[in-house]
Amino acid sequence: MASKNGISRRDEDEVCPVCKSSRYLNPNMRFLINPECYHKMCESCVDRIFSSGPSSCPVAGCRKTLRKNRFRAQTFEDIGVEREVDIRRRVMHILNRREEEFDSKRAYDDFLEQREEMIANLVCRTDVARTEAQLQRYATENMQSIRANQAIEEEEASSFQARMTLEQEEARLRRQLAREQIENERREIQAGREDMLSRLASGSSADAAAIAREGHKVLLKKSSARRSEEDRIRQKQAALRGSELKRSGLSASADMASSSGLIKGLRKIKTPEPEKPYDPFMGYVPEKRDYYTLQQSYPSVYLDRVKNDTRVAAGGYDLREYYARTMVEAFAGLGCFVEDEVAQRSVA
Amino acid sequence: MAASPFASRSPSVAVTSPNTLRLKASGGTASKPTPMPDQELTEQLNAEVRQKYVKDKKLGEGTYAVVYLGHLRDDPSSFVAIKKIKVNAEYKDGLTMDAIREVKYLQELSHPNVIALHDVFSSKDQNLSLVLEFLPRGDLEMLIKDGDIQYGAADIKAWMGMLARGVWFCHENFVLHRDIKPNNLLVASDGEVKLADFGLARSFADPYLNMTHQVITRWYRPPELLYGARQYSGAVDVWSMGMVFAELLLRVPFVAGNTDLDQTSKICEAFGTPTEDNWPGVTQLPNYIPTDPAHRVPLQGRDFFLRQFPTAGPVGADLLMSMCALDPRKRSTAVQVLRHNWWTMDPQPTRNEDLPRKTGTKKMGEDLSRRGGEIDDGPFKNAARQLDFGAMK
Repeated sequence: MASKNGISRRDEDEVCPVCKSSRYLNPNMRFLINPECYHKMCESCVDRIFSSGPSSCPVAGCRKTLRKNRFRAQTFEDIGVEREVDIRRRVMHILNRREEEFDSKRAYDDFLEQREEMIANLVCRTDVARTEAQLQRYATENMQSIRANQAIEEEEASSFQARMTLEQEEARLRRQLAREQIENERREIQAGREDMLSRLASGSSADAAAIAREGHKVLLKKSSARRSEEDRIRQKQAALRGSELKRSGLSASADMASSSGLIKGLRKIKTPEPEKPYDPFMGYVPEKRDYYTLQQSYPSVYLDRVKNDTRVAAGGYDLREYYARTMVEAFAGLGCFVEDEVAQRSVA
Repeated sequence: MAASPFASRSPSVAVTSPNTLRLKASGGTASKPTPMPDQELTEQLNAEVRQKYVKDKKLGEGTYAVVYLGHLRDDPSSFVAIKKIKVNAEYKDGLTMDAIREVKYLQELSHPNVIALHDVFSSKDQNLSLVLEFLPRGDLEMLIKDGDIQYGAADIKAWMGMLARGVWFCHENFVLHRDIKPNNLLVASDGEVKLADFGLARSFADPYLNMTHQVITRWYRPPELLYGARQYSGAVDVWSMGMVFAELLLRVPFVAGNTDLDQTSKICEAFGTPTEDNWPGVTQLPNYIPTDPAHRVPLQGRDFFLRQFPTAGPVGADLLMSMCALDPRKRSTAVQVLRHNWWTMDPQPTRNEDLPRKTGTKKMGEDLSRRGGEIDDGPFKNAARQLDFGAMK
């Protein structure tokens, strides 16, 4: 922004660049800007042009379409600064990873640098399309973690506020207490002195010195007792404060889905393995046969009597079980290598 | 399949048998409290195994055996249960059938849902001791009966799944358990249910070899055994499994007869009267009791199971029905049970660590039943607590 000196600028500012009305004619004139193009105009111009819906910027050469609801008062005098702050706010809102989410300090620093670079790109209008696309993609991919981090930030801000007010309140109470203590002390000393004087007045002159010494001792004792009592209270309060702080301490940052691409060095978040479907056999294979297939029936004269005995069948006896067993026993030793097993056992 | 009980299933990795064998064969060494050098090799091996374990305290005593808690001498944190079979007056010359059966079949079976037999040894008076996996969390019967414990369909599915896997594995290796009931289903410390007590087990499928029908606790006994069938199959265990399933759902035994006859009539009432139509050949079974045609109950259909066991859901009721078919030929086999689509349906079975468990009342009960001043703890009880290594720095 080319500028002359401050005073002339302010003078210039007094005139609305659109309707040319000046502050001289309208002392209540407010200037508004729209973050779309940051062209400044007065409130009445905004009302006049944009009340009936979106319209293009009245500044010559600017073809941006503006909406009334986006107009707002300017925070910074320099429109460039205003724009940069806006961009920064928007980018930080999206790229809101926190330090505890990163593997290392280095990774976090890289992230910060990357963020700054993107902000700079947008501010200086270099590579805007690519940067915007990156931002957009990151935002859609990490919706959840962005939300979570925003929530944490809000909570932090509010808890900071709460802490501030709490501390102020505590300080006020402390001051009040101190004032009361001083007052009490003063009053006690006064009372002690009066007591001593009255006793001196009523007593004999011989033990005046003794009475004076005793009075002094009582005063000392009282003050030391008071001091230890105060210490006790103070310790208690400190302990209370500590526990309160601990309770209101940040809850551990929530687990977030890992991002793809843009940000590197994010701490790996362990998601619990999805539960496997229940296997009723728990890994064992039922009816596993490596060397043979079991037939429904084997011809054998020896077994014919059993086969035809209804009583045996009624008891639930099943020849197929006998077949299965015979076959298992016939092939049982195959595939077993005793030497290997012994070797394995000695290794174990 | 034919693994020796002395082989690699031991919880200790440090003890390797080939080494010790060589050691012993060369006449023994002085490094360990070795037996006399003039002992036979078998005796040496037996002593070797016996010295691997330390007996801590008695866990329980029955008519047939005493159970001790023990641990490996090398590793005090590895608990085992040592089941010492009592010398039985009936079998003066040898071992009881139960012990032989238990050793014979357990040594062959190695599965997560079957109790593991680590070792077997005999003590000086020829008593047999079985070193079994230590399962500290009670049995399913305790869980069913404890009114304070609440469980749901997902828990039942998990338990039934483990039971069915154990039974299937036995059948796959041609072993019948023949005593499946909730108090033989022990719960390991990780929640896994394991089939225990193989005292009635036997191998099956031999033709012309009669088997006894006097097996399986009555409430879980299938109708073919009640009718005295001498040749039967894995279907008997599947019926017991069905009864356990029903008991898990109802939290009371489903058909609980006082006598064998009562049991038969109760089964007929509940599931239907067996006839030649629905069970061909049933009338020829040795102990078949003819029923009065007037009092015949028709075979129960799906509706009955759905009504009786609403918590199982329609698919669960279907599975239960297939396990409770009167005719053993129509009953599902263990493989068919595991292939049922109930397992893959919602709700998913509960994970072992989330299963309801018995809280330490049993331990507390033991503590309370102790007499005043009596110490029944082993020598190393609470040792870890007394030795505070954290203070050494």
